[in-house]
Amino acid sequence: MANSEVYVLGGYQTDFARNWTKENKHFSALMREGVLGALEQCGIAPEEIESAHVGNFAAELYCMQGHLGAFFTEVHPEFSGLPTGRHEAACASGSIALLAASAEIEAGRYGLQAVVGIEQMKTVAADVGGDYLGTAAWYDQEAEGIEFPFPKLFGRLGDEYDARYGLKDEHLAEISRLNYDNAKLNPNAQTRTWYMNKEQALCRTDDNPAIGGRIRIADASQVTDGAVCVFLASREYAERYAKGMGKSLSSIPRLKGWGHNTARLRFDDKVAESQGNEYVLPHVRSTITSAWERAGIADANGVDGIETHDCFTTSEYMAIDHFGLTAPGESWKAIEEGWLEIDGRHPINPSGGLIGAGHPVGATGVRQLLDGCLQVTGEAGAYQVEGAKNFQTLNIGGSGTTSVSFIVGVD
Amino acid sequence: MSENTGSLSGSELRKALASREIKHVVVLGANGTMGYGSAALFTQAVPRVTFLARTRDKAEEGLAAAIKQVRSPTVASRADVGDYGEDLDKALATADIVFEALTEDLEIKRTIFDKVEKARRDDSIVATVTSGLSINQLCEGRSESFRKHFMGLHFFNPPNVIVGTELIAGRETDPELVAFVEAFSQVRLGREMVRTSDTPAFAGNRVGFKVLNEAAQLAEQLGPVLVDRLVGPYTGRAMTPLATIDLVGWDIHRAIVDNIHQNTADEAHATLKLPDYMANMMEAGVLGNKTGGGFFKKDGKTRLALNPSSGDYTPESEISLPNLAYIDEVAHLHTVGRYAEGMELFLAAEGDEAAMARKVIAGYISYAFHRAGEVTESITGIDMIMGAGFNWAPPSVLVDTMGVGPAVAMIEGAGLPVPSNLAEAASAGRTEKFFNHPQVNIGKYFVAS
Repeated sequence: MANSEVYVLGGYQTDFARNWTKENKHFSALMREGVLGALEQCGIAPEEIESAHVGNFAAELYCMQGHLGAFFTEVHPEFSGLPTGRHEAACASGSIALLAASAEIEAGRYGLQAVVGIEQMKTVAADVGGDYLGTAAWYDQEAEGIEFPFPKLFGRLGDEYDARYGLKDEHLAEISRLNYDNAKLNPNAQTRTWYMNKEQALCRTDDNPAIGGRIRIADASQVTDGAVCVFLASREYAERYAKGMGKSLSSIPRLKGWGHNTARLRFDDKVAESQGNEYVLPHVRSTITSAWERAGIADANGVDGIETHDCFTTSEYMAIDHFGLTAPGESWKAIEEGWLEIDGRHPINPSGGLIGAGHPVGATGVRQLLDGCLQVTGEAGAYQVEGAKNFQTLNIGGSGTTSVSFIVGVD
Repeated sequence: MSENTGSLSGSELRKALASREIKHVVVLGANGTMGYGSAALFTQAVPRVTFLARTRDKAEEGLAAAIKQVRSPTVASRADVGDYGEDLDKALATADIVFEALTEDLEIKRTIFDKVEKARRDDSIVATVTSGLSINQLCEGRSESFRKHFMGLHFFNPPNVIVGTELIAGRETDPELVAFVEAFSQVRLGREMVRTSDTPAFAGNRVGFKVLNEAAQLAEQLGPVLVDRLVGPYTGRAMTPLATIDLVGWDIHRAIVDNIHQNTADEAHATLKLPDYMANMMEAGVLGNKTGGGFFKKDGKTRLALNPSSGDYTPESEISLPNLAYIDEVAHLHTVGRYAEGMELFLAAEGDEAAMARKVIAGYISYAFHRAGEVTESITGIDMIMGAGFNWAPPSVLVDTMGVGPAVAMIEGAGLPVPSNLAEAASAGRTEKFFNHPQVNIGKYFVAS
């Protein structure tokens, strides 16, 4: 099926440390910088773009603005008239946009597509934003009237691990420490200049306050503003592009596999369904394994690193065993052995992940894929995993509800 | 070798980092603003940081201020305190880095270096946070080991907020140590590193305070409100120039511009002379925000502005400004991310005021490009420190956003010397950018107000 191959020509990420409200900037400026930056970075002329997909969670709430696909046409006069659309699946919105775009390329409809993940969240106070994020759960049953509902839901993921296998908070703290450390290597990471050291990340007292059960501030990713744009292309377009850039087609990253599952919305229902299963979130596991199957690899040894969804330390803890890096319930082993470090056996989140790099919700899935591309093309700078050829992403919406995974690699 | 952050690859960084281990940093002058700010920064990455001051009490004050500044209790768990007596000798015996942050006075620093020389380990790095004194002069007459291990590490104030940092090697500083300190500062302390020459005020303050001082000079005629509006955020900065001088302190401003004025003789010499009205007001005790006001002050909720010729203050609301509608239009374009169109409008704006604003911006670009090769290896170093140290649009970003032709026309229109590389690029119709840092978002510099 050579014709259905999907290539990723590259992209661009805005600096996740920026606060666009403080700069007095409108949502459209964020999209503009993301898209124009990607065009320039990749050396692609605007008239080449055939279609665009925008991933965004809740601009209606944060920015009082809907119809985001149409905003793509505001970026450049050449874009007027292009087919565009917007996709939403909470924190997995960006990946859903990528899936839709790649499916259209596989179907042969278009040769070159722009995919933009975007979210502006610093427009409202933290408690208001926390309430908006509650709409990624079943709002009136799980979030309404609860201060910061999501830390509490992911705190319960930790509790579930604790009940089934035992869980030590110090292992969660190490996950936080590693993501903050890696973020210091990433010039676009939100927290790269924050005061953070091992003791602060590991601190389990009121100096690192609890915000939802066992989840403390340092366990949580932070909301921020950001846009990421990547270009997906057909084999035919990618061949032409590679030739024009003086590269070989094999050096252009390709989407080798994908996985996508949606579990029931409420956390209680997910946990009830998984009783008796060795995986706490079996649908997440199946997203990961179906990506492997499509890529023709057996397990996580077939990838050189992972960009996973660490909205909280518990979600990364869950990802470790769901990726099969350890037996179920033994994620702590990978942490203790140092496997997750950039030069470790299974690097996770060299970018700093959501905790370190920042989590502008709708942008995250696209950011993960872009970071995967930078890794497999050797362009990740200070956070490069040496010699990486294949990278896998895992992007999760809600409390483990919508899961999407991509494997991107070069041959 | 790299001139600024990002030029070392991941493996080069890791290699440089692995060349040394920093377990103990001793900060001298840890009760001063730069002393405790820098000491706090070191506690991020170093297991033990010793705060030293003239007395143990002063050092304790510094530690308390450091904890308050970075709001982390972990500072205390990694810190100890002492004075310049026995404590200094003991601390220096184990120090991997000795970081000097005393008053900006050559003799005071030399006196403490006498003690450092006697007590330091032969392999310890000695760094100074000086913002203006010559690195070569500071280590003159010291032992070979001292000179080899000595360098300037200039954090900007407050270091926990401003990440731009200048690294200044002396003539005899070991290049491998410089590479190590660069990697360490970048990766462990989250700094944006720029290497500069050992020239007066180095790179950032040389270029930045030239612009700030010119704004202060203009304020004598135009008044501070108009000047800060004309050279405001829309021209590529987070904070307006005169409000910046008030924040920095008039005394610091004077120390920096006097140093440059006395020790350089460049094409913009006149713009570096401190205005007389500022000197006079300083004699009367006016030092900016720390003395309750400078160009601006608050009376309850009312913001008052200085009248430089009389020394009186007037409520800002009573000051009438000329028609500056063009600024609102530029700001609106910035709001929607149309920065190039905003700059185009700025260049075309009519009236004496717009011309005055362009003269300051043209002066900034002209001065910066003329300093490339003198204060840094190339314009890139100046760009990076203006961006990360001042939060101003780097000169190259302004040129790229305007287009090199229009930028040169603006400089000519202001009657200022056109840097040769800009003139050549303009006449050759060059379209490639001067600022080539894909991971720095240039849009962040164009604040929409």
